[in-house]
Amino acid sequence: MKFKDYYEILGVSRTATSDEIKKAYRKLAHQYHPDISKDPAGEEKFKEIGEAYATLKDSEKRAAYDALGSHPSGQEFRPPPNWSGSQGGQSYSFDDIDLSDLFANFAGRRHGEQHHGGHGPIPGQDYELAVQISLEDAYHGAMVDLNFTVPEYDNQGQLKRVAHTFKARIPKGVSHGQKLLLRGKGGKGANGGKNGNLYLNISFIAHSLFRVAEHDLLIDLPVTVWEATLGATVKVPTLDGPVNLKIPAGMNSGKKLRIKGHGLPKQNQAHGDLFAVLQIVVTPNPSEQEVALMKQLADISSFNPRTHFGLDTTNEK
Amino acid sequence: MKNNDAELLWLDEHHEVTASELLELSGLSAEELEWLVETGALNPIRCVPAAVTQQSQAWCFSGQCLVAIRTVSRLKRDFDLAPDALSLTLVLLERIRVLEQQLLQNNSQA
Repeated sequence: MKFKDYYEILGVSRTATSDEIKKAYRKLAHQYHPDISKDPAGEEKFKEIGEAYATLKDSEKRAAYDALGSHPSGQEFRPPPNWSGSQGGQSYSFDDIDLSDLFANFAGRRHGEQHHGGHGPIPGQDYELAVQISLEDAYHGAMVDLNFTVPEYDNQGQLKRVAHTFKARIPKGVSHGQKLLLRGKGGKGANGGKNGNLYLNISFIAHSLFRVAEHDLLIDLPVTVWEATLGATVKVPTLDGPVNLKIPAGMNSGKKLRIKGHGLPKQNQAHGDLFAVLQIVVTPNPSEQEVALMKQLADISSFNPRTHFGLDTTNEK
Repeated sequence: MKNNDAELLWLDEHHEVTASELLELSGLSAEELEWLVETGALNPIRCVPAAVTQQSQAWCFSGQCLVAIRTVSRLKRDFDLAPDALSLTLVLLERIRVLEQQLLQNNSQA
């Protein structure tokens, strides 16, 4: 069994009072708790902190831990003969257990519960996973490979991230920010303990054309001045292939045209809508003839889109 | 590995979790759950009208609340939160969730 220096982990001396230990734990917990900390290494760090505190806050466990003596972290050691932590329990094979297992059973043994080899049922851990999917996958549903790492102790007793791979079906109808729970797909339970659960946080990868508003989609639809003025029928891409969209005459920039049922699927089989947002685009490199026609239009048109400014426009050119 | 859909639970406002599921998945005690409901931090969406003896066992909640409930349960365990802090934290987490959702919405429409 590898030694872990719980005092060192909490940054307190071996003679620290229980108040000092509690204070040190609180301070570190505020710093590394995965629900508060933005530190990506916080989860592993907090696991060690929690393990150290669980043992040192309990006077009996702490006395048993102290009786193990002081060893350099990671060094192989065996508890001394007649060590208080093993009394009344079955004999351990100290080679294949972790220091935390030794203390996890302490309370149960103290209350005279029956143990088999010192281990009761240990439920598997829950894991949370961020899953990014494309809009196409959200539209059709998809099987995704989830690659995630979980903190586990290696042979040296050090916390390491171990890679796990898992295939999951992401059903049609998920939305950006959707949370899913896969029961029993978390960490394996031990000694008859239940498996943990896997929580998935779904988010959508930004799409080059579509923006998402719940189950609706938006697409910018660039149109020419004459298409906007005269109306037109244009092809618009959707997640389910292109559709023809009729643009009525006299449409301004920013006008939203609804393409019904071409948004993202909802859970009840219905779909959101796709909205084409009109953007009038001027010709970037107009030919001489195009410029001439525009000038002609300018001459004959009396249209002033700025009358609401209430300004005298007689000197405008 | 095969993925069995029976094991899939949607955690959103369209799906329900029962009180016992919530207790099992969050690690909260029945007393703590009752306290959260009593203080208004958590609102059951309905009561199962079945003949059940214990009030808390009849509640159903929006699947959406499980994420926040698990968070407060962890915070309670690791920081020894008092009951009042438990319900306050839940209320604030819900407020953050709603604000984050609005932010997301505004950004996507910008």
